[in-house]
Amino acid sequence: MSSVEIGLVSFPILIGLIFLRMPIGLSMLLIGFVGAWIVTGTERPILAQLKSLPFDTFSSYSLSIVPLFLLMGQFATRGGLSRALFRASETWLGHRKGGVAMAAVGACGAFGAICGSSLATASTMGQVALPELRRFGYSGALATGCVSAGGTLGILIPPSVVLVIYAILTEQNIAKLFVAALVPGVLAAIGYILTISVYVRLFPEAAGLREPSPFAERWRALLQVWPVLAIFVLVIGGIYLGWFTPTEAAAVGAAGAGLVAYANGGLTWSGLSEAMLETAVATGMIFFILLGAAVFNGFLAFSQLPQEAATAVAESGLSPWFVLCLMLFCYLLFGCVMESLSMILLTVPIFFPIMLALDFGLSPEHTALWFGILVLIVVEVGLITPPVGMNLCIINSMSKDVPISATYRGALPFIICDFTRVCLLILFPGITLWLVTMMF
Amino acid sequence: MIGRLIHRIARVLAIAGGCVLLAMVVLTVVSVTGRGLIGLDIGLGPVPGAFELVELGSAFAVFSFLPWCQLKRGHVAVDLFVKMLGERASVVAELIGDILICSAAAVIAWRLWLGMMDKLRYGETTYILELPLWWGYAAAQVGALVFVAAAAFTAWQGMRTLRGNGASR
Repeated sequence: MSSVEIGLVSFPILIGLIFLRMPIGLSMLLIGFVGAWIVTGTERPILAQLKSLPFDTFSSYSLSIVPLFLLMGQFATRGGLSRALFRASETWLGHRKGGVAMAAVGACGAFGAICGSSLATASTMGQVALPELRRFGYSGALATGCVSAGGTLGILIPPSVVLVIYAILTEQNIAKLFVAALVPGVLAAIGYILTISVYVRLFPEAAGLREPSPFAERWRALLQVWPVLAIFVLVIGGIYLGWFTPTEAAAVGAAGAGLVAYANGGLTWSGLSEAMLETAVATGMIFFILLGAAVFNGFLAFSQLPQEAATAVAESGLSPWFVLCLMLFCYLLFGCVMESLSMILLTVPIFFPIMLALDFGLSPEHTALWFGILVLIVVEVGLITPPVGMNLCIINSMSKDVPISATYRGALPFIICDFTRVCLLILFPGITLWLVTMMF
Repeated sequence: MIGRLIHRIARVLAIAGGCVLLAMVVLTVVSVTGRGLIGLDIGLGPVPGAFELVELGSAFAVFSFLPWCQLKRGHVAVDLFVKMLGERASVVAELIGDILICSAAAVIAWRLWLGMMDKLRYGETTYILELPLWWGYAAAQVGALVFVAAAAFTAWQGMRTLRGNGASR
């Protein structure tokens, strides 16, 4: 077998292992190790590499942004900011038809601006918004559906951990990717709100009504969310203006969120240690996958599969748009059973060179940014597609009286909304790219 | 008894890692502020070599988080298909996963040790602060070793569950 063939064979085996419930990071580590052994014919190079690879991966300056952003999200969760955000958007939107659900989506989007993780956004907003939604007579399907979908705004709206990993994998500028994600992220929030407004017109019994709040209360509630805006502007603006590196920005954001949490009484010693332990679990999980991916991608590079695949696809004469849609379809398919970060680490090393070898009439950098945002959105859809959309599971477990089938049903309109948005972004790359061209 | 001990060690280690992460936050904020105020010419400036400290700290933190993540079952896996095969299949699959993670952790710890010996022998240091690199490796070694112990413990637990299930059926 040639080394390219070994690379090709490794994928079904890897996916088989993953489907047999082997942890994803472990599967990549294992296949990468064995594969490198077979391709080079001896175990020595890979063993020599392992002397420094784990330490180098874990001590990488650009990757240290990940635990910092996770810590920032933990602090934001404990600082009562999710409650303040929901209060603010509820006083402004709550009296409309389906308004409380719209408020939940809006608050999720705003929380996503200081939190880089979908699961964290979904679970904190769920705690705050679900009881309120049920109290105002929203159906279980709509309540759990809108919070699960809103949670995906956590990774869509920068800062976003998944986008950081994509930037590192493809050697793109993180600041530009964050800027590129802004418009699609805001479009997503608006799309979800429109979806809710259509939904409650089709099923009027799904939402209750609520008295409008007086304007004095609205402004007071809005004033309380200024720390969110301040942290977001400092982090994203600071990166954009070149005040700090992305890693420094994450540290500054963590400090800001930590101060807010401390001021609001969320950081007693037990709160702080809880935050650290939660960060530890999420960081450990991500870095174990990153290590597996580093070993696996090392093996892929040995096998020369990525270059060969890119050439083969470019010479096959297939339409670039067809290839793009096929790749995005793969993400949707795998998204039904896999989690977003591992999907990106597994596929981008193969798909990205292919993408660059195709001609979409864009510069290579713009292709990379555009593809990154598209991938981000389709893996995010995976979080709300049955049967194992992680957001659906988390939100459903928080509302015991709602059967999982109702949550699936409630998520469906939002999935349709996501599809529409993906199609728009594919057809008009300019939606993603105009802000980048304007600002850089 | 052993379980409680391993839990306690992993927890303390994870919190130690968290404290290092906090220290990285403070250090970075101080450094960034210093760099911002450099124009005032009052003797303030960025912390020299701050990024090297962040790198070393990050390695320690991540290695220290791994055992806690293992004990808390934080590693993601796709359990949809195995669940269809019944509960026993899930337990078996999880057990195999834990044994493999334990072996992987052992290989990582072993290679890390050899890596540390290399750094010690050649006296490699960081560029700016000239800190010996083996310090970082030695600090990481703690987490790597506890990771092996934690994975071994979860595998042992899995075996007990499996035997318990077998006896009751």
